[in-house]
Amino acid sequence: MNWSIRGLFPYFFPLIFVVALFFALRMGSLPPADFTFSNGTEPQTVDPAKSTGAPEGRIIDAIFEGLYRKMPDPNDPNDMIPMPAMAKSHEVSDDLKTYTFHMREGTKWTNGEPVTAHDWDFSWQRFLHPESGTQYGYQLWYIKNAKRYTTGDFDVGDRVEVELADRKDRAQMYPRGTIVSGILKKVDTYPEGATKSEDDGHGGHGEGESTFKVFTVDCVPEKDGVPQWDGEKTTRVFYQSGMPKEYLAGHPKAEEAMHVLLHFSEVGIEAPDAKTLIIELESPTPYFLELASFYPMHAVNRTCIEKFGYPNWTKPENIVTNGPYQIQERRIRDRIRLAKNPTYWNADEVKLDTIDALAVQSNTTQLNMFMSGEMEWATDIPNPVLDDLKVMDEEKKKEPGREDERNDLLIAPMLSTYFYRVNTTRPPLDNPKVRQALNLAINKQEIVDFVTRGGQVPAGSLVPPGITGYEGPPTESYDPERARKLLEEALGGKKMRPITILYNTSEGHKSIAEVIQQQWKRNLHIDVQLRNVEWGVYLTTVREMDYDVARAGWIGDYPDPNTFLDMFVTGGENNETGWSNKKYDGLIEAARSEADPEKRFNMLRDAEEVLVDEMPILPIYFYVSINMVRPYVKNFYPNLQDLHPLHILEIDEQQREKIREWEGLE
Amino acid sequence: MIYFLAKRLMWLVITLWVVFTISFFLMWTVSPEGALLSERQLPEAIKRNLEEYYDLDKPLATRYVKTMGNYIALNPGPSMKLIDKSVFEIIAEGLPISISLGLLGLSFAMLIGFSSGIISALRRQSVIDVTFRMIATLGIAIPNFVLAGFAIIIFVFGLNLFPAAGWGRPINLVLPSLCLAAPFAAYISRLTRTGMLEVLGQDYIRTAYAKGLMPATVVLKHAFRGAILPVVSFLGPATAGILTGSLVLERIFFIPGLGSHFIEAVQQKDHPVSLAVVMIYTFLLFSMNTLVDLSYGLIDPRVKLDK
Repeated sequence: MNWSIRGLFPYFFPLIFVVALFFALRMGSLPPADFTFSNGTEPQTVDPAKSTGAPEGRIIDAIFEGLYRKMPDPNDPNDMIPMPAMAKSHEVSDDLKTYTFHMREGTKWTNGEPVTAHDWDFSWQRFLHPESGTQYGYQLWYIKNAKRYTTGDFDVGDRVEVELADRKDRAQMYPRGTIVSGILKKVDTYPEGATKSEDDGHGGHGEGESTFKVFTVDCVPEKDGVPQWDGEKTTRVFYQSGMPKEYLAGHPKAEEAMHVLLHFSEVGIEAPDAKTLIIELESPTPYFLELASFYPMHAVNRTCIEKFGYPNWTKPENIVTNGPYQIQERRIRDRIRLAKNPTYWNADEVKLDTIDALAVQSNTTQLNMFMSGEMEWATDIPNPVLDDLKVMDEEKKKEPGREDERNDLLIAPMLSTYFYRVNTTRPPLDNPKVRQALNLAINKQEIVDFVTRGGQVPAGSLVPPGITGYEGPPTESYDPERARKLLEEALGGKKMRPITILYNTSEGHKSIAEVIQQQWKRNLHIDVQLRNVEWGVYLTTVREMDYDVARAGWIGDYPDPNTFLDMFVTGGENNETGWSNKKYDGLIEAARSEADPEKRFNMLRDAEEVLVDEMPILPIYFYVSINMVRPYVKNFYPNLQDLHPLHILEIDEQQREKIREWEGLE
Repeated sequence: MIYFLAKRLMWLVITLWVVFTISFFLMWTVSPEGALLSERQLPEAIKRNLEEYYDLDKPLATRYVKTMGNYIALNPGPSMKLIDKSVFEIIAEGLPISISLGLLGLSFAMLIGFSSGIISALRRQSVIDVTFRMIATLGIAIPNFVLAGFAIIIFVFGLNLFPAAGWGRPINLVLPSLCLAAPFAAYISRLTRTGMLEVLGQDYIRTAYAKGLMPATVVLKHAFRGAILPVVSFLGPATAGILTGSLVLERIFFIPGLGSHFIEAVQQKDHPVSLAVVMIYTFLLFSMNTLVDLSYGLIDPRVKLDK
């Protein structure tokens, strides 16, 4: 026995090798795609309503299509404008608060169903529904009553919808349980986990504390799915499922309900027929078309979702889409293979048949794959090699026949700002003069020239340049003399206490913080300490405002100053500086309901001026987008939001052959 | 034997439980929000809805019991970051890739290790022996990800022989498995050399030569078998090490294995996935060590497992 096992040993190892080889090669069945790019990281999800982030956006924009779609402006391809997509046109009412979309004829889902306005009615309800857990939910709160629908903010006398607890599968939102419509008559509230008297002492518990509620509703009958509000009313009592039994003693007839929400017909989304979608907004929102083309707002197919449920409907074999591409295969943290959708309305214009979106995490690996010809577009380039890559582009142009070739390295301004938050609740940083002094004492040009080195632009203010029609307020540049004077005025000649710069651990943030540390020391004689913490700790520390000065960055969601400026209103979720200014709040609020675009921009400009005067943040630089793209990829245009629709890309085969030959790639 | 296995099984359960408990509480106390943590602050109402969705509104102890129940049922639930996927799907896609990479690495390690070890022993103190030993020392000293960097510069950009990254085609497998194998090959080579030298001086080898057997037969059939005993005891930890040691290599060579999932899950605070991978690594290490103990008993009759 012993001998035989020992004797078998040598044969055992080749066997392992064969088995391993078999497993490893099982993955290699896919033929190479027409176009391969690095998508950065594995998309969290392909469900539009649940997605955030650029990698998700690239995939969702390729497989779904919104009412409108951001496309290169034919007059200036580096500018992106919303163009008709699933909707062929739209009208805006005179008060700019009602948008009427007319749907395109002949558009189809991949399961053969026509795309209609009702798809948006369904999808946006799903998007706003509290159970969906939509992170971008607030982006649709511009629609009338949408916020109230999501947050469950309604009162006695409001129309409500009650979803009974008779779902087929309780964990699945769709198909929904029976919906009962009615008018809310009474709400009984019970605090969580405590008898009523106990909480009386400290009334500090606000709306945020979870409570149990019992709703008394005057229900109305329905006809063809439409509630008859004038119909005969019957009073019924509902309680939210999950409520402990002891609170139900006083409500013997209470029925279990999954949700009690504001009635969805109160929300400004209406589809009177299959081809018309009417959206009513809270206030004029000049960038609403941008939102209507933003990927989380793309419609999803109701049949598919009701049949498979979440997350099964997102599997490549189940998913139903309406965009230029379909998901052919998805391997986690490897690739998403996109294949052209033949039923797309504009399929003739889609040039590439297959696209691979690789989830390459490491930017060095990305660069390696780009350089060795395994990838045509790299989205994340390591900073230290930027200079070398620029030189390579210059060298390339000296070769005969390649003079007119596009650069591989494409750098363009981006709608994004790198700045430092200042904790305005801590003296002496509560003094605007001190904050201005800190700002004036930073030599931003030095930072972009010697630290970031990617062509970033020094920032004087928060809103990046390049938004059409918007001109920011004048800003001051590096002036150590004036900085010293301001600091002296503010402190009356006393020495400033040491302050700390907080940043999350990263080489880039560290180098910038070190430069600023030196500059403040040299120009203002302030002792500056650096404190680097892990990402999670950094976020919590900033949120709890346990810092003096903290690094931050912000990427605009849509090309409008508001996406930056409304961050710093009093008590804003992303304010985190403790800064509060009545005039600023007033201007932002007034701009929200201003219909005239020019006046609106003026108000926002005035608001930004207040911000620049008060300096609750120290702007450092405006980001640039950095992409490496092979010159034979056509229709790739750098732009402000770094958006690159995949379905318009094209490959010049002739040039491809030539370039691969020049570079010595097989 | 049965008693030994039963005892080991019990210890396995206890080890898994302890690792599970410690990891679970560490992860969730260090960053209680998990993957929901983001630079962009969400409105209160949306945050509450999300927390409800992920059960984060429940006390930690309740979630601990629930998660443990899920693990016993072998259904660790959904991932918190890749929300379309369940933890089980992620592991099911990643584990075979890591295992095949590991086994390929192991095969290379043995192939290179054994042959260079035997040659070193036969040509003792020659130029070949010294060179091999020097390379082996270097191989042990250099971490595999540093080696990967050099390998890419030389074989990808210098010689244009292999693709820079990827997985699936035969040519993709070579560089990562070689880099993964290198330190282990070096170790096996040294062990084999020592073993061979010891065996070659023994009487039964001289007898074999005296019988007039071919030198190749003597070395491979008689000497080698006696020489690999120390190597076998190294193979257990080596297998575990090679299976769990491909983390950084997978990232460098863009291989969608368990290591890539682990690194990203930790960075993105996708606690359900990190926890599952930690459990799998624990299981692998434990079972490999048990296998080695078992193989001692089978190979060497002097070892009695029951005592």
